[in-house]
Amino acid sequence: MIAEIDLYGIYLPALLVWAALALPAFALLRALLRRAGLYRLVWHPPLFDLALYILTLGGVAALTESLLS
Amino acid sequence: MKPLLARAARILLTLALVGAAGLMGWQLWRYYMESPWTRDGRVRADIIGIAPDVSGFVAEVLVADNAVVARGQPLLRLDQARFALALQQAEAVVASRAATLERARRDERRYDRLTEGVVSIQRQDQAHSEAATAAAALQEAEAQRDLARLNLERTEIRAPVDGTITNLTLRPGAYVAAGSAVMALVDAGSLHVQGYFEETKLGRIHPGDPARVVLMGDARPLSGRVESIAGGIADREQAGGLVANVNPTFSWVRLAQRVPVRIALEEIPEGMRLIPGRTATVTVMPGGVAPSLLRP
Repeated sequence: MIAEIDLYGIYLPALLVWAALALPAFALLRALLRRAGLYRLVWHPPLFDLALYILTLGGVAALTESLLS
Repeated sequence: MKPLLARAARILLTLALVGAAGLMGWQLWRYYMESPWTRDGRVRADIIGIAPDVSGFVAEVLVADNAVVARGQPLLRLDQARFALALQQAEAVVASRAATLERARRDERRYDRLTEGVVSIQRQDQAHSEAATAAAALQEAEAQRDLARLNLERTEIRAPVDGTITNLTLRPGAYVAAGSAVMALVDAGSLHVQGYFEETKLGRIHPGDPARVVLMGDARPLSGRVESIAGGIADREQAGGLVANVNPTFSWVRLAQRVPVRIALEEIPEGMRLIPGRTATVTVMPGGVAPSLLRP
């Protein structure tokens, strides 16, 4: 388990760092999906965005856990 | 018909993603919030306060600060002059009492040989009792001599266990009093890790569970085992005085308290500095299974 990330001597809880990392990834993913025209098939875009962000966060966490630990 | 179908498809797609996100969020919550791990762990060891058994001036300090010492190794010597003199004095008393006893025994034998009529029974009894008193006095003097010898031996203070001397400021010439600690010895055999776990996680921690310990600043993991869980923590509401002092502002937010869990370390990698007080992250693996993000 990766519990904390050392940022120049400040130890942050890992989840906070993953959440920050997931933000640009989520923004990129959303831009791609928008360009692909997927948002025409979405019922409630903000709800969809929230779900997408949580999934991205899970993906980042799972990826770093499997790569780094 | 077609707009209705398209609308249903849109709702379904969104809800499917929301459902997946819900599962993912639940899993993240379980992994980071509920599995038994803590960043609030400390390396700990028993610290022995090395105190002299007798008072006196420090003649020699035989170890350096932060020295690793073995059990029985001399740590410091107190000035022996006073104790050597005390031993001499006690030995002189032993010699004198021994002489007194010998005379009393001789007198006793003489009085015993004299027949009745020449010496009174009362005088014979007196000789017996004088000899017994002299024997007891000799025993007392011998005990005093042994005590003086013990005091002399105790002017050299030895390490009671293997460990590391720490925070040594003692210098020759300082006067140290019997019973007051003058240096700290970290008992190497008692090194362990204390994990402060939220009380909400205690249900998943059992003595014997394997644990993984990572020290702050050292990526190498240590393996350990839950040894025991603390028997009690302080109740702050009952801290002072005869009656309870209950905090009135406890309506909405309550924080889980933390309970120390003692982790015994199994093996320590070469070169790892296990210094009591260092911060550690402790992950307990209930039943030998590490918490996982992917497993439900």
